[in-house]
Amino acid sequence: MIDTVAFGGAVAMLAGSLDAWIWVIPGLLIGLVFGALPGISVSMAMALVLPATLYMDFLPAIIFLTSVYTGAGFGGSIPAVLINIPGTSSAVATTFDGYPMARQGRHNEALGAALFASCIGVLISYLILLMLVQPIAEVVLRIGPFEMAAIGIWGMVLLGSIGGSTVAKGLFAAGLGILLGTVGMNTAGYMRGDMGIPWLLDGVPTIPAMVGLLAASQLFALVNAKFIVESKEARRISLRRILAGGAMVLRHPVTLLRGAGIGVFVGAVPGIGSSIANLLSYGETKRSAADPENFGKGEVRGVIAAESANSSSEGGSMATMLALGIPGGGATAILLAAFAMHNIVGGPRFMEQSRDVVYAIILSNFAQAAVLVVVGTIFVYGASTIVRLPLRFLIPSVLVVSTMGAFAIEGSIAGPITLFAFAVLGWLLSRYGFPVAAVVVGLLLGRLIETEMLRAWQLAGGDPWYVLNYPWAMAIVALMVVSLSFSLRRDFRRRRALRSAASPG
Amino acid sequence: MDRAQARRQPAWAELAFVTVLAAGVLAYLTEARGVSLGAQNLLLLQPTALLVLGLWAVVAVGCLTRRADPDAPRETAGDILRVLAMVAAFGLFIAGLERVGYDVAICVFVLAGLLIGGERHPAALLLFPPVFTLAVILGFRLLIPYPFPTSLL
Repeated sequence: MIDTVAFGGAVAMLAGSLDAWIWVIPGLLIGLVFGALPGISVSMAMALVLPATLYMDFLPAIIFLTSVYTGAGFGGSIPAVLINIPGTSSAVATTFDGYPMARQGRHNEALGAALFASCIGVLISYLILLMLVQPIAEVVLRIGPFEMAAIGIWGMVLLGSIGGSTVAKGLFAAGLGILLGTVGMNTAGYMRGDMGIPWLLDGVPTIPAMVGLLAASQLFALVNAKFIVESKEARRISLRRILAGGAMVLRHPVTLLRGAGIGVFVGAVPGIGSSIANLLSYGETKRSAADPENFGKGEVRGVIAAESANSSSEGGSMATMLALGIPGGGATAILLAAFAMHNIVGGPRFMEQSRDVVYAIILSNFAQAAVLVVVGTIFVYGASTIVRLPLRFLIPSVLVVSTMGAFAIEGSIAGPITLFAFAVLGWLLSRYGFPVAAVVVGLLLGRLIETEMLRAWQLAGGDPWYVLNYPWAMAIVALMVVSLSFSLRRDFRRRRALRSAASPG
Repeated sequence: MDRAQARRQPAWAELAFVTVLAAGVLAYLTEARGVSLGAQNLLLLQPTALLVLGLWAVVAVGCLTRRADPDAPRETAGDILRVLAMVAAFGLFIAGLERVGYDVAICVFVLAGLLIGGERHPAALLLFPPVFTLAVILGFRLLIPYPFPTSLL
């Protein structure tokens, strides 16, 4: 599976070039800062530094950009844990348990767990990439609308697992999110729900809506509190506790490996990427846990599941980009642009002719993951001081930065308006016990599921049995059904055990 | 007194909120059906909207049959007013961004936010809003490629 001659060439290439290494730490730091800024996406951070790579050699340029990619992948989880703002869309699921942990004064442990899960996730994904780059690419080529729709529906099913105060409220919120995700013009050309507003034709701006729902709504609810962490004792920033959080990751190897597996597979599928991988991994971890009721209340396994999946999706999307020349998302599209700037075309021929360079990129990412442990720990230590800031300063400041981030994404007032509308909606939803996270997931998946269902419908000519011709889609649905039935059976047994324990005699 | 014995206390505000959302969903479904009744338009939208409307009935019944929870934390009128003031200030800030300029809007909103949050120290009220505004405006000018209107900076 590994071409040993090319592998040796890659080692020699990295060992003999200082240029290949000096950009790793600056790249990671840039990624961490930009990833931690709400509204500045991974791809935007990479786009901003892309011109700087023009005068570098090819390998240092790609290593610099992948360092930014790796740093930003983790950077998004810092505001997700500390202030409930997913710095990037791939950190949504990190907020579900990371923020409750921070509110309980366990921000050190949450950030440590997120950092170590991210670093190990990157390592695992590149290890898989090193071994299986070609087979992964071949599988990706077989994924069509039926399979994509099945993945989307898998994600939708997990919406049921994001509980509110009642199941009906959870489903109501999820349905609302899916409907919001279908606003605008669909791929068949029908315009719905745009209310005559031109910018709604492209749909509800997802990132401002997400930041509004998750973060701004929480900030409104905190107006009467003094600090994010109420207890003065718990506000301490401790390197020992950050590292203890990292050690928790090693105590949950199944959660970590499942997250990494989902991340690599989903990340490799063009157009889905890390935004969905973290949600799928979180949902699967919660569903398969013996104590799912603890999730959403500050359960470290939720953080590990989300972070291992979103960081390992980097390796998956790199597999598609390197082997097929297809960018899975914005970040890999910028990497391909960097290839083009150096007159190199990614894809099968590049894989065949420059396998040593491919191995060098993969090997340098191992090093990046290791360096991220150190750089990330120092960064997290500094970023954690946010819990010591009084909320009367933090609330208006974060609302302003989120507004500017929303403007940066849309390039118009559409972003801030969306942010405000969804902040109010999110505040009211959480006030009345509806799970805001379910609306966010529905919003992210609504458009994807509709698009893929439409393509599948068109391919099948309206015949639902046509899906039988797509064994991969059937396999995904079968996996989903088996996993669901196991969790239902376990739920049923637990309830029966609780009933028998409660009954007298 | 446990919750089962507590007196019935319908959650009118929650009922009103969920009804407004359901009305919005119904309006969306009606508008979408007006565009086309074809499967390519309604494949996901119609079943999801019908599910949400069905769930509205379940949630509404839950609101009407709600019993008072003696353990629920009580909010004072002052607490609610402070949150509403922050929501209103944020709404006015967004509305004012393009009218008075991003710099003035940010400075005034941060000052309002500090006052709503209970900050009364004159130095903090005088210094923090302009310094923070300067940092945000200059920082985002460097970061983002789009121009945004400002009045002073």
